[in-house]
Amino acid sequence: MGEIRDFKSGRPQPPRDAVPRRLAAIVVGDIAGYSRLMQLDEEGTHARVKRTERDLIEPTITEHHGKLIKTTGDGFIAMFDSPVEAVRCSIVIQQNMIGRNAAIARDQWIEYRIGVNLGDIIIESDDIYGDGVNVASRLEGIAAPGDVFISGGIYEQIKHKMVCGYESLGDKKVKNITDPIRVYRVLPDAAAYQRTRRRRESILLTLLGLAITIIAGGVLWYLLAQPRSKQVELAKAPPSPVASPTVPQPAPAPSQSSSPVPAAPVQQASPQPAPSASPAAELPEPEMVSLKGGSFSMGSNEDPSERPIRKVAVKPFAMGKYPVTVREWNACAAAKACGFTAGGKDDVPVTNVSWSDAKQYVAWLAERTKKAYRLPSEAEWEYAARGGTQSKYWWGDQVQTGHVGCKDCGGDAAAEQPVKVGSFKPNPFGLYDMGGGVDQWVEDCWHRNYQGAPDDGAVWTGGDCGSHVIRSGSWKNDARYVRPANRDNYDTNVRYPTHGFRVALSP
Amino acid sequence: MRRARLIMLAAALALLAGPVVAQNKPAGKDAKLYFIWPRNGAVLKGPFVCRFGLHNMGVTHAGDDYPNSGHHHLLIDVDEPLNPNEPIPSDKSHQHFGAGQTETQLDLAPGKHTLQLVLGDAKHYPFNPPVVSEKITIRVK
Repeated sequence: MGEIRDFKSGRPQPPRDAVPRRLAAIVVGDIAGYSRLMQLDEEGTHARVKRTERDLIEPTITEHHGKLIKTTGDGFIAMFDSPVEAVRCSIVIQQNMIGRNAAIARDQWIEYRIGVNLGDIIIESDDIYGDGVNVASRLEGIAAPGDVFISGGIYEQIKHKMVCGYESLGDKKVKNITDPIRVYRVLPDAAAYQRTRRRRESILLTLLGLAITIIAGGVLWYLLAQPRSKQVELAKAPPSPVASPTVPQPAPAPSQSSSPVPAAPVQQASPQPAPSASPAAELPEPEMVSLKGGSFSMGSNEDPSERPIRKVAVKPFAMGKYPVTVREWNACAAAKACGFTAGGKDDVPVTNVSWSDAKQYVAWLAERTKKAYRLPSEAEWEYAARGGTQSKYWWGDQVQTGHVGCKDCGGDAAAEQPVKVGSFKPNPFGLYDMGGGVDQWVEDCWHRNYQGAPDDGAVWTGGDCGSHVIRSGSWKNDARYVRPANRDNYDTNVRYPTHGFRVALSP
Repeated sequence: MRRARLIMLAAALALLAGPVVAQNKPAGKDAKLYFIWPRNGAVLKGPFVCRFGLHNMGVTHAGDDYPNSGHHHLLIDVDEPLNPNEPIPSDKSHQHFGAGQTETQLDLAPGKHTLQLVLGDAKHYPFNPPVVSEKITIRVK
């Protein structure tokens, strides 16, 4: 054994048996009364816990730049570089759990106890060890359900950086740790105490309201069932908000959702060029325009996010002539590869699409067509939107009607849906709706300005990937937003009624 | 008898029709949306962190249709009144926090600004009655 060690330490790379140690903020969470919940409803509890981990715990840790080390049956261990982020993450988890529990009976509540400690730990490939972890887990053990307990070490780091209340609980002696630990309880706001009490009241009120509605429904049913049974259907349909924790509700389109997509080749007699490829093809493939590539000045001085202006070279690629339409999207939905069936007319851009939804569509399209469909990069989008111009808008420096759909360019901002694709003039590259119409997702993660951005037209990853870049502005925005240089961002997994996208294709 | 039935019918209809007509989700009782930080009238050096407080309702992700919960929207220098029948707009002066964020870093130009919070439901509509914070005025040095 000694020989091997000598042999290894002689090499330039770090010896494998040197255990990596480092200082980190450790968050340990655990569900209070897990065994009781499991006894109550084993499968249901298991499913709910897994869903909470998937929808809340994991994304929240990632958003706060932490790393989930492992999940146990009823808890999790995560590691953070920053104590502030560790505590913030814990507060977000606890606050979200309040919202989730509000809908269900008290004895079904999933409540986490969370402990946070700063300590020196040993990192192995799939776990962490050390006193620091043990202390965090002891803190978690003495925390009340729904509470976050932090150690003195964490408190010293965050007390001036986070505006929230801390209640000192003094020095506590905990199992198997020699020295007593100074413990603080985090109060997300001063009235955290009161909230718990009022929460119960509001649940009681909700139940009361529900009971009244049921009684009213029963009376109505009874009255209407006697004379005419026809109206029963009407009365029996109060809106019951179905909790769908994983898949957000699709756009209100109940008429479409049950029937499959109408046969693609059937088109309304419209004078506008139809955006589907060839009527013979079964798959409504977006129409593409090949672009030569070249270099251009990206950005502007109109907004801090668009600075600094820099020269960017873009390689040849093809861009969707229009944003992806409802017809094109619904082919993906019919194939069960996209999350929801879109409502509205076939030729309008699909909306209420999150970045993740858009990614699902391009992945499906690439798979179906065996072509390299993808989302455009932010640089490619601006290059295509400018159409070879360097002016404020692609047609010049003044707002004019007829070029784009936006609030003060002659569009109807009050409309619920954008107008049909191709309703406005194309830009010099022959692309429609590059600006206005619908906001359009691109592949890049959000960065607040162009400091350090690539200049080869590539996708800029890294940064804040909890949000991605949206371009174009929508029919509900004003003219400032339809400039080719305008950029904004939105949460990656959140749908919004003005958000759509267009596809790009590598040659 | 007939009249009594009519009255009962009307009462039942009224109870059921309420939620059917209004598409806005009911706000939590005594729901209170407020700024933990900054305080009204504060003079700050930018960039600063803005923290959102919420009583008697929960914060959840946009798209999650849990009762009595919503997600934050921050209105910066917005003067137009809130339209309860439309999704809360999305632009540079209407920031959305659909991932359940309860704070944000703000980098505003020096000068006076107003800030206001609005809670939105799963589909970004305001609640009924709207859950909004006091509109605070701050100055960035």
